Amino acid sequence: MALNNKTREKGYIDYNLIFIILLLIGFGLLMVYSTSSYEASMSTLLKNDPGYYFKKQLRASIMGIGAMTLVSFIPYHFWEKFGLIAYGVAMFLVVLVLTPLGYEANGARRWLNLGISVQPAEIAKVAMILFLAGFVTAMGNSIKTNKGFWVVLLSPGFMCLAVWLITDNMSSAIIIFAIALIMLFVASNEYKKFVIFGAIAAVGTAALVLLIKLTEGSDVFGFRGARIRAWLDPEAYASTYSFQTTQALYAIGSGGVFGKGIGQSTQKLGFLPEAQNDMIFSIICEELGVFGGVCIIALFLLLLWRLLIIAMNAPDLYGSLIVVGVMGHIAVQVILNIAVVTGVIPNTGISLPFISYGGSSVMFLLIEFGLVTSVSKSIIFEN
Amino acid sequence: MRTLKINNNLSRGKSKKKFNKKMQEKLVVLYFLVLLAFVGLIARIIYVTCSNGEKYKKVVLSQQQYESTVIPYKRGDILDCNGNKLATSTKVYNLIIDTKQMQAKDEYVTDTMQALTACFPGFPESEVRRYMAENPSSQYYVVLRKLTYDEIADFLEIQENTKEHPNIKGVWFENEYKRNYPNNELASDLIGFTGKDNTGNYGLEQYYNDVLNGINGREYGYLNDDSTLERTTIPATDGHNIVTTIDANIQQIVEKYLYKFNEEQKNVARTGNGADNVGCIIMDVNNGEVLAMANYPNFDLNNTQDTSKLIGSKLVDENGFVPYDAEVITQDNIDTLLEDENLAMKNLNYRWKNFCISSTYEPGSVAKPFTVATGLESGKMTGEELYTCNGQLHVGNHDIKCHNYRKGGDGTLTVQQSVEQSCNVALMLMGRQIGKETFLEYQEKFNFGLKTNIDLSGEARTASLVFNDQTMGETELATSTFGQGYNVTMIQMISAFCSLVNGGYYYEPHVVKQITASDGSVVENISPRLLKQTVSNETSRKIVQYCNGVVVNGTGKTARPAGYAIGGKTGTAETVPRDKRNYVVSFMGYAPADNPQIAIYVVVDRPNALAQDDAKFATRIVHNILTEVLPYLNIYMTEELSESEIAELEALDISIRMVDDTVEEEITEEESTAVDESGLILNEDGTIDANGGDTTSSTPLSDEEMQDNNADTAPLTGTVLNETDGTPIVEDNGSGPE
Repeated sequence: MALNNKTREKGYIDYNLIFIILLLIGFGLLMVYSTSSYEASMSTLLKNDPGYYFKKQLRASIMGIGAMTLVSFIPYHFWEKFGLIAYGVAMFLVVLVLTPLGYEANGARRWLNLGISVQPAEIAKVAMILFLAGFVTAMGNSIKTNKGFWVVLLSPGFMCLAVWLITDNMSSAIIIFAIALIMLFVASNEYKKFVIFGAIAAVGTAALVLLIKLTEGSDVFGFRGARIRAWLDPEAYASTYSFQTTQALYAIGSGGVFGKGIGQSTQKLGFLPEAQNDMIFSIICEELGVFGGVCIIALFLLLLWRLLIIAMNAPDLYGSLIVVGVMGHIAVQVILNIAVVTGVIPNTGISLPFISYGGSSVMFLLIEFGLVTSVSKSIIFEN
Repeated sequence: MRTLKINNNLSRGKSKKKFNKKMQEKLVVLYFLVLLAFVGLIARIIYVTCSNGEKYKKVVLSQQQYESTVIPYKRGDILDCNGNKLATSTKVYNLIIDTKQMQAKDEYVTDTMQALTACFPGFPESEVRRYMAENPSSQYYVVLRKLTYDEIADFLEIQENTKEHPNIKGVWFENEYKRNYPNNELASDLIGFTGKDNTGNYGLEQYYNDVLNGINGREYGYLNDDSTLERTTIPATDGHNIVTTIDANIQQIVEKYLYKFNEEQKNVARTGNGADNVGCIIMDVNNGEVLAMANYPNFDLNNTQDTSKLIGSKLVDENGFVPYDAEVITQDNIDTLLEDENLAMKNLNYRWKNFCISSTYEPGSVAKPFTVATGLESGKMTGEELYTCNGQLHVGNHDIKCHNYRKGGDGTLTVQQSVEQSCNVALMLMGRQIGKETFLEYQEKFNFGLKTNIDLSGEARTASLVFNDQTMGETELATSTFGQGYNVTMIQMISAFCSLVNGGYYYEPHVVKQITASDGSVVENISPRLLKQTVSNETSRKIVQYCNGVVVNGTGKTARPAGYAIGGKTGTAETVPRDKRNYVVSFMGYAPADNPQIAIYVVVDRPNALAQDDAKFATRIVHNILTEVLPYLNIYMTEELSESEIAELEALDISIRMVDDTVEEEITEEESTAVDESGLILNEDGTIDANGGDTTSSTPLSDEEMQDNNADTAPLTGTVLNETDGTPIVEDNGSGPE
């Protein structure tokens, strides 16, 4: 480690960051309770307990904060040598879904029962961040070569394919790939390639969308094709594929500037099924209005800003890349989630970090922030 | 906030392992890209809100289903005069399955199905399982309907015991009311029945439909001013009960003997019932209250669609008429005859009609007292006339025969003898004295051709079935005097007859005397309605005298019940087809003879006999009914009993109570406790206290109390007559004499 004779303050803890995280978690819990209490109280399966989802989320959040604290005390370099192993373990866990340990919920087999239920895709995201950070650091300057660029770009490929094909979870695969892409973007010298990539991706997406549009009526693209068609023409699929999206838009639109007041949403009374999950942002907008929605987005911007600061001040490349990975993770999920809710992109199953209901998600997010805190603690101040 | 110094010293440490300036630059670029995306999303949110906000607000409000559930009301009961239930509504339960909830777990299905099959014998398990497999998201599937509480009690116990049976899920019960007639056939035509949605069909159920029905309650949610969902319950308003003047005990006695008659006469001369129809009405002569009204054949109110009840009746054609050559429905041919559903329905419809008010027929000789009353009241007759009957009378172009023309006629007859012997010739001669105008005037006074407006649904209109000034010629007048040529309904005849024997007061016949709310409080008392005075007191007394003679000396001897003197008139009317073989025989009478309290009218339409023209078919029924009804009404016996009569009474277990018995000598020890002084309350104004019928519970009343009692129960008796013209001065809500 880079030690010198200058006075060194004790480890820096970014209280702003922790405050923002706690605020998001607290607000998330509030909204989970607000959105889920009605449906939970109507469900005899959940013993009519209005606090069912809230309690589960609270438990996961507390465990997550514990894990975050624990991880923050482990110097992050401890993980450097485990990068490849983490990748392997994550792959192994994804494959484990196929064994009897895996179970199905909401029509998809994505969960593992390891005492507590875990989504391997969430582990894969952390593993990808750790792996790529270590891998890029180890590569050194060779990332600037063409070969290095392609190796880094393709290294998350296996993981993405596994997550996509085995757990049938394309959105997580996209997120993992996007995290990798962002880390590569920051680490490499390139702009041109990314612009070209971006252009190719845009043209390719447009062509695909056009193709799907033209094959209307056929079943070539399965439910994903139908979702895209529903996105293009919400009215036609209002009672089927675009039901959730149109209902979410109704929720946002009916909220007005300051919303109906917390707990006053009517859309959560059965029209937005499982509103506590991916569509929670629409209920936030319904209850707290545009103002509430913008506040949440601003909070995330602030969070990303803190991550930017830490990444820039991290004592070494490995630490910075970890933080960049986390930053990418948050940014991608927030953008994609809100884009889905507001009908900008077709419906995929992406949750809003810290706010959407989901134990695995919040736990592993907090573990990631444990890493970030660990990095921030090793920042050296110079007076 | 403590500011961090951006670490820009790239030379420090191992530079290749540093987050270099290029990377920092790219990170800032990334951050700005993210910022751009966020700003775009914020713009999108604002756009959605501003462009469609109002529209979406409405959509959100409109798609709220204010889930509302109907709370059914209870249709009111129909009670007899003693409070016995003739029709009632009982709460029943529909078994509903929420397949979505039940199928949430496999053990729910297993355990719930097991409990359901154990508790409900008729539970269609395989059908339900198939439905659940096909409709996994259905939350409302009615499996069993109209279960009683007893039937569901076992299951409710299991369902509520969540500790031992935690897996009973997805079953609930929906309330409903089911119309129930505790006495099945009793007074079926009179009561009527209800169809779907509590719509009354026929009889009281139809006439008082609106009174009996209540208003459904509702449980619903709505959005209040703050757009929050609130739930509200509006309770159901139950329907009113109606208390009828019918005495279920009398009704039972009547129906017993109508049934007995049928048993005796069925299949005698032809296949089928003892008569095409037998009807009987018993009324209180002093207030128009109907005490009993029955028909045979009847039907089961709890199973109105039961076609097996039609066996023995003639087949009704597709127009709803009974043709002359109608086939008789038998056990063997019922399936083929009623194969056509429409025809079966026509036959059932015909059965559901109340013969006593809906069927018209020529009354025959029971009309004779009316002719005599017309003559006496109009002053065209003095009552002292003598008539000579040679067996026939030449009227117009016809020779109209008397019933005993073969014997050469009845000879010379007084007015009373004319009635006693039911001499047609004498009556036709009276008709000549009376004249057409006066006769028609009195026909209308007696309400023939007009509806009685009895409070029952389905009363026939007879306006076109009576003569008027244009249609009545000499012959028509002649036949009308003895009740042929025009049509009446039973209720018209007996209502008019009551006025003949009660001093001339015509009361509107009615069946309902009180309307009470579901909590028992009285909503309305329906008092007797005195409509008019048909004849004077004096004429009335004479008619009573003549009619008493009919039973003592004349054609009605067989009608007299053991121990009582009654009066009345027989009738034997020709009917279609007019081949002198089809008759409607009847007896219309009253009891007791000296102070008429109740009137009875029995009509036997085409008795099943080789010779139908015998009034005894009717008088025997009257005899049987009155033998039981008069003691039941606690009317004391006045006549000496023959040995056979005593035997008859003993066989019926009727105690003998003579009017002059001061000490109950002839009454057994046990029975004496059941009878007391208040048993029969005969008042000076001639009303009876029907409430005295329940002798086991009533306590002796003082004279004063009795009078008070009567003042309450019969407020209209003792109507004050205007001295100058003899019309009654009625204090009855403006329904003055017409």
